[in-house]
Amino acid sequence: MSRYPLWKYILVILVMAYSVIYTLPNFYDTYPSINITNYENRQISTDEITNIVSNNSFSYMGTNGNSIYFKSIDDQLNAYNILSSNKKFIYTLSNYNQIPSWLHAINAQPVSLGLDLKGGVHFLLQIDTENVKKSRANQLESNLRNFLIDNGIRYSNVQNNNNEVKFSLVNKNLNEETLSVLSDTFSDYDVTLIRENEQQNLFARLSDDSLADDVKASMTKNLAILRSRVDELGVSQPIIQKQGKDRIIVQLPGLQDSTRAKNILGSTATLEFRLTKGTPEDWVASDTMGATTVGESILYRQKNGSPILLSRNVIASGKDIEGANSGFDSQTNQPAVFVNLSSYGASNMLETTSRNIGNRMAVIFVEQDKSEVINVATIREAFSKRFQITGIDLQEAKDLAILLRSGSLSAPMSIVEERTVGPSLGSENIISGRDSMILGMILVILFMFIYYKNFGLVANLALFANILIITATLSLFQATLTLSGIAGIVLTVGMAVDANVLIYERIREELLNGNSPNASIVSGYNKAFSTISDANITTLIAAVALLTIGTGVVKGFAVTLVIGILSSMFTAIIGTRAVISIIYENKSNKGLSI
Amino acid sequence: MLRLIKNMDIRFMAIRKIPIFISSLLIVISLLSFVLKGFNFGIDFSSGYIVQLKFDDQVSIVNIEKNFSEANIDDVTVQLYGSSKDVLIKLKDEEIFKKNNINNFMNNIFSDKSFTISKLEYVGAQVGSELREKGEWAMLIALFSILIYVALRFEVIYGLGAITALVHDVIITLGVFSIFGLTFDLSVLAAVLAVIGYSLNDSIVVFDRIRENNIIMRKLSILDVLDKSINQTLSRTLVTSLTTLFVIISLLIFGGDAVRNFSIAMFIGIIVGTYSSIFVASTSLSYFGIQRPEEN
Repeated sequence: MSRYPLWKYILVILVMAYSVIYTLPNFYDTYPSINITNYENRQISTDEITNIVSNNSFSYMGTNGNSIYFKSIDDQLNAYNILSSNKKFIYTLSNYNQIPSWLHAINAQPVSLGLDLKGGVHFLLQIDTENVKKSRANQLESNLRNFLIDNGIRYSNVQNNNNEVKFSLVNKNLNEETLSVLSDTFSDYDVTLIRENEQQNLFARLSDDSLADDVKASMTKNLAILRSRVDELGVSQPIIQKQGKDRIIVQLPGLQDSTRAKNILGSTATLEFRLTKGTPEDWVASDTMGATTVGESILYRQKNGSPILLSRNVIASGKDIEGANSGFDSQTNQPAVFVNLSSYGASNMLETTSRNIGNRMAVIFVEQDKSEVINVATIREAFSKRFQITGIDLQEAKDLAILLRSGSLSAPMSIVEERTVGPSLGSENIISGRDSMILGMILVILFMFIYYKNFGLVANLALFANILIITATLSLFQATLTLSGIAGIVLTVGMAVDANVLIYERIREELLNGNSPNASIVSGYNKAFSTISDANITTLIAAVALLTIGTGVVKGFAVTLVIGILSSMFTAIIGTRAVISIIYENKSNKGLSI
Repeated sequence: MLRLIKNMDIRFMAIRKIPIFISSLLIVISLLSFVLKGFNFGIDFSSGYIVQLKFDDQVSIVNIEKNFSEANIDDVTVQLYGSSKDVLIKLKDEEIFKKNNINNFMNNIFSDKSFTISKLEYVGAQVGSELREKGEWAMLIALFSILIYVALRFEVIYGLGAITALVHDVIITLGVFSIFGLTFDLSVLAAVLAVIGYSLNDSIVVFDRIRENNIIMRKLSILDVLDKSINQTLSRTLVTSLTTLFVIISLLIFGGDAVRNFSIAMFIGIIVGTYSSIFVASTSLSYFGIQRPEEN
C-alpha cells in the first residue's frame, strides 16, 4: 500500500481543529441580559451597575461589565420593566454568554437558533398598494380640479376609479395651448382628451413607473417607522428587512405574546382634534334622523357609542404631532398621553383655542376605516404646543404614545404571514431535535459496528466528525438553526455513512475477488470515488433547488443538508481514508476487519 | 464478514413485468386520487390560521367549539394536542380575525379561561399561492437540472431512466398523502425534494455500476449486465436505506409534531425510492433501449 500523502493528513487535522474550536462556544451557557449605558459617553462604571442592582428588587444571576444577566427571559423582562422607569440610562435587551475571550477574538459564537427553537414572532407585512394608488388618484383629482378652475375650464362630472380620473368638460373646445400646458404640468401622468358624441372628456391616468416610485418611497418610510416602533417594544436583536417590492419581514425573538406587537406594528392609528358642533340635543336628534342637523358638521361616535357632532375642520392631526409620552394626569391620576405639537400645529391650535374658550374640543382616534372620539373637553384657556389627552387606559396610552412618536405609516400595512412560537414550545422543540438525533445516532453507530466491525468504527468516527463540521460551519457563518435544520442534520447522519458504505462494499468485493487486503483498500476507495461524487452532486442539485424556495422551513432544512453533503463527502473520501491508512499502511495485513 | 445479501443472483430482468405492473398500478391509483380526492393542504398552501393554546385548566373540545359558534365562527377544527390542556385550533382566513386581530379575538371568546398561545401560524391567501408556485418551480428545476447533469455525466438514456424513477417516487409518495388525507405543507415539500435527492443517489450508484460493467463484461447480454449491476450494488442500497430509516424512525418517535409530516413523507419516500432504484430505474433503461457499447 503506497503512502497516503502528508498534505491530506494535515488537511484532515486542520479541518477537525477548526471544527472543534468553532463548536466549543455551543457548550457555554447563554443567558438573557440587559446592557446598560448612559447617555453621555455610552459607558457605565461597575459601581453604577452594582448600585442599580442593589437599589432595585429583581432577581438576577450576575453582572458582567455593563450588563446584568438573568436565569430566564421572564426575569429579564421583569427587570427591564422595573429599570425602564429610570430614564437616566439606556437599557438594551441582549444575550450574555460565558465564552472565553480568546473564542470571542476569533469570532467563535454559538449557533444562532431560529424562532421555532428559542421562541418568538415572525411577521410578513405587505404594503397596501391599492391605498397608495387611491391616495395618489385623489391627489391627482384635486390638483386637476384646481388647474381647470384656475384656467376657467368648466366641467360637469368627475369620475375617479382610483386608477384613472375622468373629467367631463362643459367647454366644447379646449384649446391646444391649454392642453399642452396641462400635459406639461401633469407630466407624471398620461393625460388624454377624447371626444365622445359632442362631449369632451379629459382622462388622466397614473403611470406605472410613478406608482412604483410611490410604493418604493412608502416602503422606505414605513421601514423606518417600523424600526422605531420595534425599538419601543423592547425586544433583543430584532430583524426588520425589506422583502421584494412591497413586503417587510419583522422578526422578534423571545417575544412571548404577539398581541401587542400586532396592535402596534401594522397600526395606522393617529389622532385628530376637532371642535364640537351643536348641542347634545342636536347630537341625539341627528343620530335618530340619520343625518346631521347642524351645518358643516359630521356625525361621530364616542367610546360609549353615543353620537356626537364635530366640525368638518381639523385643528391638528397626527402629522402635526412631534413628540408624545405616556404618563399620568397630575390631578386625576388617570392615564394620559402628553403631546407636543409642531410649530404649524401649535399656531393653529393657539388660534382655534383662543377664539373658542368655553367651547368643547374632541380628540378622535382614527384607524383606517374606524374613527372614535376618545375624549371631549371644554377649552378653559388657550393653549398651543403642549397638552395632554386622557380618556384611555394605561396600555392604550402607552401604545398610542409609541404610535404618535413613530409617526404614522405612509400607507397601511397588513400582516400576510405570521409564525409565533412560544418560548416553552421552543425549548420542547430543542429537546425533540436532540433526542431524535441521539437515538438516530445510536442506531446507526450500533449497526455500522456490527456490520462492518473496525471499518464501521472508522465510519462512526467520521459520523461524529460530520456533526462537528456541520455545527462549526453553522456557528462560523451564523446560519440560523431551525427544527427543520435539525431534521436535515439527522438525515445527514443517516446518509453520511452512505459514502463509507459504498467504499466498504467495494473493498469487500475486491477481497471476495481474491485481492490482497491492501490492494483491496486502495482500489475500493478509487473505484467508489466517482460513484460517491456523482451521487452526491446530484443530491446537492436537489438541495440547491430547495434553497431557491428560500422560505423558513425549507431553507433551514436545505442549508444543513448542503453542508452535510459536502462534509460527508470530505470525511468519507479524505477523512476515513487517512484513519484507515494509519491503521493498515506499511503492514502486511492478513485480513481486514470489515 | 457479516452480510445482508450473500452472492445474490436475482434475475431482475426476467421478472421485470411484475414491478412494472405494480408501479403502474400505484401510479394510476395516485393520479386518480390527485384528481378525485386532491390534497389536504396545510395552511402554508391554502391559507388560514393554526393556533395552539395552552390552557391553565383542563378543557373539553365541545366547550371550545361552543365558544367559537357563539362568536359565529363555524368553520373551525378543534383537537386536543398531547394533553387535555393543549388545544390545536384550525381556522379559515376570515375578515373578523384581521380586523380585530386574532389574539384579541381569542382573548374575547375565552375571556373566562386563562391560557397562553404556544404557537400561532397564519398564512394569507396570496402568500399561500406564492409558496405553492415556488414549490412547484423548485420541484421542476430540481428534476430538470438533474436530467441535464446525468445526461452530461452519463448518457441521455440514463438521464431519462433517473427521471422516470424520480417521477415515480414523487407521484407515489404524494399519492399516499392524497389517499390518506395527510396534511401537505411546506415541510412535506422539503421531504419530497429530499427524497428526490436520496432516490437519485441510489439510482446513480446502480447506473455507475451498469456503465462500468457495460465496458468490462463483454460476453454478457445487456439484460445480464443490468441484472449483475443491480445485484452487485444491492447490499449497499439496502444498508444505506436501513441507516437512513433508522434516523427517520427516531425522528418519528422523538421529533414531535413539528417534524411529523416531514418524517412520514421521508419514510414513505425512502421505501419507494429504494424500491424504484432496484426495480424501476434499471428496468426503465432496458425499455428505453440501452445498448451494449460498440465493439472496437
